[in-house]
Amino acid sequence: MTIQHTVIKKIAVIGSGVMGAQIAAHFANAGVPTLLLDMVPKDAGDRNILASGAIAKMLKGSPKAFVHNAAAKRVTPGNLEDDFDKLKDVDWIVEAIIEDPDIKSNLYKKIDSVRKDTAIVSSNTSTIPLSRLVEGLSYSFRQKFLVAHFFNPPRYMRLLELVVGPDTKPEVLSTIEQFADHRLGKGVVHCYDRPGFVANRIGIFWMQSGYAAALASDITIEEADAVMSRPVGIPKTGLFGLFDLIGIDLHPKIDASMASLLPAKDDYHSQRCDLSLINQLINEGYTGRKGKGGFYRLNRSGGGKVMEAKNLKTGDYAPVQKVDLESLKAVKTEGLSGLLNHPDRGGQFAWRVLSNTLAYAASLVPEVADDIVAIDRAMTFGYAWKAGPFALIDQIGVVDFVSKMKAEGRPVSNFLTLAAKVGSFYRTVDGNRQYLDVTGEYQNIPREAGVLLLEDIKLKSDPIISNQSASLWDIGDGVTCFEVHTKVNALNMDVMDLINQSINLILKNHKAMVIYNEASNFSVGADINAFVALIEQKSWPEARSMLAKGQSTFLALKRSSFPVVAAPFGMALGGGCEIVLYANAIQAHVESYLGLVEVGVGLIPGWGGCTAMLERYSVNKISPKGPIPIINAAFETISMAKVSGSAFDAKDIGFLRPDDGITFNRDRLLADAKARALELAENYEIPEVAEITLPGPTGRSILSTTVRDFKARGLATDYDVVVCDALADVLSGGQAGDVTTPLSEEDLLALELKHFVGLMQNQGTLDRIQHMLKTGKPLRN
Amino acid sequence: MQKNVVIAGYVRSPFHFAKKGSLARVRPDEIAAQVVRGLVEKIGINTADIEDLILGCAFPEGEQGLNMARIVTFLAKLPISVAGTTVNRFCGSSMQSIHMAAGAIQMNAGDAFICAGVESMSRMPMGGYNPMPHPGLAADYEQAYMSMGVTAENLADKYNISRQRQEELTVISHQRANDARHSGRLTDEIIPIVHGDIIIGSDGCIREGTTAAALADLKPVFRVDGSVTAATSSPLTDGASATLVTSEEYAKATGLPILARIKSIAVAGCAPEIMGIGPVNATIKALSRAGLSLADIDIIELNEAFAAQALSCVDELGVDMEKTNIDGGALALGHPLGATGARITGKAAALLQREGKQFALSAQCIGGGQGIATILEAV
Repeated sequence: MTIQHTVIKKIAVIGSGVMGAQIAAHFANAGVPTLLLDMVPKDAGDRNILASGAIAKMLKGSPKAFVHNAAAKRVTPGNLEDDFDKLKDVDWIVEAIIEDPDIKSNLYKKIDSVRKDTAIVSSNTSTIPLSRLVEGLSYSFRQKFLVAHFFNPPRYMRLLELVVGPDTKPEVLSTIEQFADHRLGKGVVHCYDRPGFVANRIGIFWMQSGYAAALASDITIEEADAVMSRPVGIPKTGLFGLFDLIGIDLHPKIDASMASLLPAKDDYHSQRCDLSLINQLINEGYTGRKGKGGFYRLNRSGGGKVMEAKNLKTGDYAPVQKVDLESLKAVKTEGLSGLLNHPDRGGQFAWRVLSNTLAYAASLVPEVADDIVAIDRAMTFGYAWKAGPFALIDQIGVVDFVSKMKAEGRPVSNFLTLAAKVGSFYRTVDGNRQYLDVTGEYQNIPREAGVLLLEDIKLKSDPIISNQSASLWDIGDGVTCFEVHTKVNALNMDVMDLINQSINLILKNHKAMVIYNEASNFSVGADINAFVALIEQKSWPEARSMLAKGQSTFLALKRSSFPVVAAPFGMALGGGCEIVLYANAIQAHVESYLGLVEVGVGLIPGWGGCTAMLERYSVNKISPKGPIPIINAAFETISMAKVSGSAFDAKDIGFLRPDDGITFNRDRLLADAKARALELAENYEIPEVAEITLPGPTGRSILSTTVRDFKARGLATDYDVVVCDALADVLSGGQAGDVTTPLSEEDLLALELKHFVGLMQNQGTLDRIQHMLKTGKPLRN
Repeated sequence: MQKNVVIAGYVRSPFHFAKKGSLARVRPDEIAAQVVRGLVEKIGINTADIEDLILGCAFPEGEQGLNMARIVTFLAKLPISVAGTTVNRFCGSSMQSIHMAAGAIQMNAGDAFICAGVESMSRMPMGGYNPMPHPGLAADYEQAYMSMGVTAENLADKYNISRQRQEELTVISHQRANDARHSGRLTDEIIPIVHGDIIIGSDGCIREGTTAAALADLKPVFRVDGSVTAATSSPLTDGASATLVTSEEYAKATGLPILARIKSIAVAGCAPEIMGIGPVNATIKALSRAGLSLADIDIIELNEAFAAQALSCVDELGVDMEKTNIDGGALALGHPLGATGARITGKAAALLQREGKQFALSAQCIGGGQGIATILEAV
């Protein structure tokens, strides 16, 4: 039987609160026209003020809800009185109003009277059971209804929990799932209709358990957050920082709601505690980051800025103390177990909270979701944990975990006992990653159709070639994947060597190369420590050869007889941006932050970044003609170290070409890049050697005048002028530049090299680099 | 026998902020053409008698290029026999166009000229799309290409023009322009611009209720320790202006309404880093050629490119502010570079008539270090 999918061409979101508005924004990001409706406030002049106000707020707010300001035009504000009829034209209606079942139910009845028959309706509820929401609604409505629960902020948090009722049609679920996966880039987790679904069920338990444990011990909130964050693979906000981020005022409501909905035997009840401190904070307006502070606050009294933390015992604020716990040092030497087995208050706190939470998660299969994979995905995608509960238990060792629980006389669930018997929740067999199901059998972890991950390829094969900094993988159909795997994926001479070796191999045996990896960022740039060493030893010939090698390697990539597709994601900065610019095509993840940021360390792009930007701007058909607009654009991008806020923004800036592709789902990036490479490999033509007409010294004059104006206006420093003069000379084509004489890529690369090495010999550059290495921030010298 | 030259008509478009104002989407050749058409219809001149359209423009490229004056003759539906030339003396461009017509008339090279000016600062970046300075000069004599804001700061330093005085002048300029607008004293000179379904009929840059206190909070925009702010600089502006310049005998023979006779003209160079002082020497030369002293002048239109710049000239020349820019100046009205010269000269002529006075002066500064001045007398 073929399933009839509704094509989602138009969406409506009802409720323009933080979640509703941002969900609408993300639909617009995906290119879908979206109607955003809310109530008409009393005596409102503009009857759409709630929705239009929410859109305006998002355009100003941070982190940005829209991938591009132009996306905001796809959200049409409206109101529930004048525009309700417009719901008859939409394919998906998303309800994101107040968490009140009666109000929601009334709205659904109204929606049911206008929606078209094929329209899907979903709720973004986080607490109300689906069964309660659809009480009294028509059968045809119940067939089209599901819970689709987004996480805050919806553009950035990957999790989408989907919950269906007994009447929901399978094609309704698969329509939303496909759309969410491909178009919105979401990681979908199927949940059962249980309170808090999956992620919040565990997340709220973890927070409540952490709060109760902290109250019951001597641990400070700084210590609790230091322990319950990076060391256990949880974001650095930690536990109390997360309370502040979410809004402390929500917690008593969530706690009461969970307590009323969960069965009496649920372990959540045993974690509940006195919330008087939280209630006191709320009463005083300390509702978290949205209020005047929370467990942490920024004290601005006396003209200063002091970060303060609440003392859980006295209830007073005091300046944040640097955390010094032996257990945190144990993490570095002995890993997670070192922390959890440490006897100090940090170790005890970590064990108590994590063991409670992980054991609780283990008790929820298959009550909240079918398997551990779903639960781990929910926590990694929805709470940004590096590893989900079951992967964490494997890290600790399930046998050790269970025996420690038993030694403490605590109950151990059947599933945990089962896992301890077989040794782990996950294993790899014959190159397949497997998980333990509730019956005690291992099953292969399924991948969505079309998903291609290097992680999976690595389990099944060895690299074609490899050194300690990079590897080349066969990803099938004649396509290879070049992976950098240094610390923060910095580019070094090993990487260049392997690129050159790879080119030779691919010429013989393969069709194309994709440059891609699965670290948290694509690449943060060239290995800056190597430059420091050269500067300190005044090894200028070596510096020149290092530059020249990078340049010739990237040129070889560009001009090889096979196509090279770069697939950036996260940060691709400096040299990491340059390698992307030298690929023949780019398939970028939507969350790609590209930038030529060398001026921050007193340098200019030296591996072809200047040349590549000039080439891109010289073929741009939109900007005015003549040599100056080209160099002005390149100067602006590089001198201001512009970093794109998304792949769409990168297209605007010019890092991506108009025909470069953008992928929303991170897990589909490699597959999309591979498809692009195969497409290009058909009748591939090597790009012609670029020739660019530049103005020469007259252009340098105009750019130098610009930077001096900036200096006069207090927007540029003394050393900015030095760096920008070097940049101006490169971008204007040096002394050889003239409107009658085009320059070749090689001419321009030679200029880049000359000025790069020239700047290296300047104390101002060394000062900038050292400051950056020490503080992570640019020096304004 | 030398002919007398008169100004027999003056109109302009409304002036609006560049980029965000109502004229931003209107092409400059279109604005200029509607203003020129408005002028000939208002005056009722026999267009076949017009010798030339002399159009001032500071950055004549792109939409302002291709000898825009000739294009404007077509757009304004002037007879094919009317010629067109585009003139560039930066901010002095359209006062220069009046001077060129005066010279031509006295040379017996025509009896009637349209002397106009236009600038779309929305659609043409300051400096044009491809500013390409002479690199040797830029290195040895950078003030040749100095940004205008910096020259204003230099004047504020050199002539001790305090920030407070600059702000006081700004407030006065807005007050006078606002009063003039509300009492209808600007209505006659404005030709509404039609853009699609929209008619743009009034000025857009004048701020009602500007106070010194509100201006005091602004940050300097050209030098971090400077005194010149966005408020004490004339805004980037879109607009056009046009005057009808004829021989006195032609005007009288055809019954044109004469506003004023051109008594003398002058241009003068000055140091480019203090280009805003340019009107001083130009004015002294023009006064001398007219056989007058500044005390004889009843009406002064002194362009306010920057408050610091205008006040430097006021101090140097000893200008009486009570007879200067009485309907407001460029700080309030706006300064569409190529259009300003014809605006202030046409305005000075119109004010002579309206106020029943005898002598008027219009003067302005020019980037690169120049001044230009015109002296008018009642007929």
